[in-house]
Amino acid sequence: MLYYALKELLKRYRAYLLNVVVIGLATCMVLTLISLGQAYKEASRLPFKDIQGTIIVQKNGNVPETVSGVLLSCSLSPIHQDTIGRIGAIQGVGDVSQALSLWVFDPDRFKRVLGVNWQDGYGKSLAARIVDGAVPASDQEALVEKIYAGKNAVTVGNTIDIAGKRFTVTGLVGTAGNEIVASDAYINLAAAQDLAYQSGNLQAVEAFDKTDVNVVFISAGQQAVDGVTRQLKQVLATSDSNTGQTPLGQTIGNYSIYTPATFEEQISSIFRLSDRLTWVISLILLIGACLIIARNTLHAVLERRKEFGIMKTVGFRGNDIQRLISIETAVQVFWGFAVGMALTLFAIFLFSKTTVSIAIPWELSPYPHFLLANPDDANIVQTHFLPIRFDWLFMLVTLGAVMLIGLITALLATMQINKLKPVEILKNE
Amino acid sequence: MNKIITVDRLGKTLGNVRAVDSVSFEVEEGEFLAIQGPSGSGKTTLLGLLAGLEKPDEGSVVVGGNNLSLLTEDQLALFRRNNVGFVFQSFNLIPTLNVVENVALPLFPERMARKMMLDRAEKAAVSVGLSDRLKHYPNELSGGEQQRVAVARSLVNNPRVIFADEPTGNLDSKTGEKVVELMRRLNKEKKLTFILVTHDDKIAAESERVIRLIDGRIVDD
Repeated sequence: MLYYALKELLKRYRAYLLNVVVIGLATCMVLTLISLGQAYKEASRLPFKDIQGTIIVQKNGNVPETVSGVLLSCSLSPIHQDTIGRIGAIQGVGDVSQALSLWVFDPDRFKRVLGVNWQDGYGKSLAARIVDGAVPASDQEALVEKIYAGKNAVTVGNTIDIAGKRFTVTGLVGTAGNEIVASDAYINLAAAQDLAYQSGNLQAVEAFDKTDVNVVFISAGQQAVDGVTRQLKQVLATSDSNTGQTPLGQTIGNYSIYTPATFEEQISSIFRLSDRLTWVISLILLIGACLIIARNTLHAVLERRKEFGIMKTVGFRGNDIQRLISIETAVQVFWGFAVGMALTLFAIFLFSKTTVSIAIPWELSPYPHFLLANPDDANIVQTHFLPIRFDWLFMLVTLGAVMLIGLITALLATMQINKLKPVEILKNE
Repeated sequence: MNKIITVDRLGKTLGNVRAVDSVSFEVEEGEFLAIQGPSGSGKTTLLGLLAGLEKPDEGSVVVGGNNLSLLTEDQLALFRRNNVGFVFQSFNLIPTLNVVENVALPLFPERMARKMMLDRAEKAAVSVGLSDRLKHYPNELSGGEQQRVAVARSLVNNPRVIFADEPTGNLDSKTGEKVVELMRRLNKEKKLTFILVTHDDKIAAESERVIRLIDGRIVDD
């Protein structure tokens, strides 16, 4: 029967080509659409890739009146340890990393300094990007960002001054300068907290306790991010010093919570569809394909009604004809799907060569505008290749859908054929 | 001689027309029987009933011990596959299959190795004089050759009876004669039972027995 089915398909390939093309295009469009949706979601997580976290919490603070010495990066406010304790108790929260982001207006030059706990997730991820040397072992040691070090002729073993204190450079770290809380120097968290605590200008803006931080990185599983964010909003809901607005329009005393969803909004693309919309479009495509294939197959059956009449006359049973139609349909589905897979892989290859730009909100990596000739230079834009990839699970789901289309078509065709009475067909010919 | 077909008070109504009306007769194994009658006399309907292509409204047809009235559609299909062969006026070949494959058509649903199936079909095709046309497609054959393919197809499953509906209707007289000659030869050599529906008096004259129908009734046997 397979022999007959293949012969029929080969001899009348033009009649079946449309089915193969429709299955191929539907498969390609569904798989590519789903892959693109996933890729843009994945892209929105890329800014978090290097910080070992999926949620960032900051507290909005006041603007200092005097811009000199050590200040909290504007306009962040201290986050107390009791708040961090409450964050850590939220269900679904994994690692909680803390950092203290400082602006240091030294007489020689401005520096962005980040206090890091080298034992937590963020500290470890930063340590992994050391290109030369090692993490600071004491509060008098620092890592220096590689580009900053190059510009200022700093090498491992040199010293740098931060707010009048001398730090020995133990290593260089490659953070590319466009990351979240990108800094020029990285020191122990305790050393940074000490600098902040001792700063009169900083204390004049808001009371800083010796254990306070101003950036919290929370690690939560991808599925848990939304739930953890909801709970975070409840835990951090109360504003304890609502005294106005920051320069960016945030309410002073309120917390800002950044998740991949923050960056999803930054990515503008027609392919950045919601999950539901992706599935709806996929379903419409598959139903459309099903209708075209069913119509085409039923048309082919009508054209072959005499042939089926002959088959029935010479002893083909309903099951035999169903088997024949099923084989013919399966071969079309197989080739259609193979064409669709090839087209999808090609489309994915092409899309993988495109880039996606993600603007990092200024407050996640603040830099004083007034120090720059062009204030726009303070805005960070990350450019990544679109992280599109072929998803085997969706491939199997689509294969299942296409096979279902084939099954429905074969059943409809067989029902049509079984209505045919051979003697009537042959009489009318 | 054994009786191969027993028809008992067979009746069939098509719409308002009594196409076959209380027909009874018997056919011996190896007989060459012609059914004659004017257009609309019920010849083709009777042939369809005898071959298990249609079910009677009343009466019974027993072919080789199988009471066709009692069989389901699938059982009738199996009966046709295993017991009878067909030759039609318009040849009814499958255009996408070559000669050997067309002859092999009744064997396709069988669980049989492809080589064995095609070998058997080739033998049947050669036996009707198509040895130089085995790989040709129907549109490459003359009418007479196409009808030979149909005859070979009717032989391939080793049937007990071959039904032919106006087998020479689409052929010129010379070619028609050759086809009838072929059927007569097979009838004699293989002791095959042939039942032919025909308008052609010449064919009827060459038949051992002629049944004449008018308005669905046997008027002469």
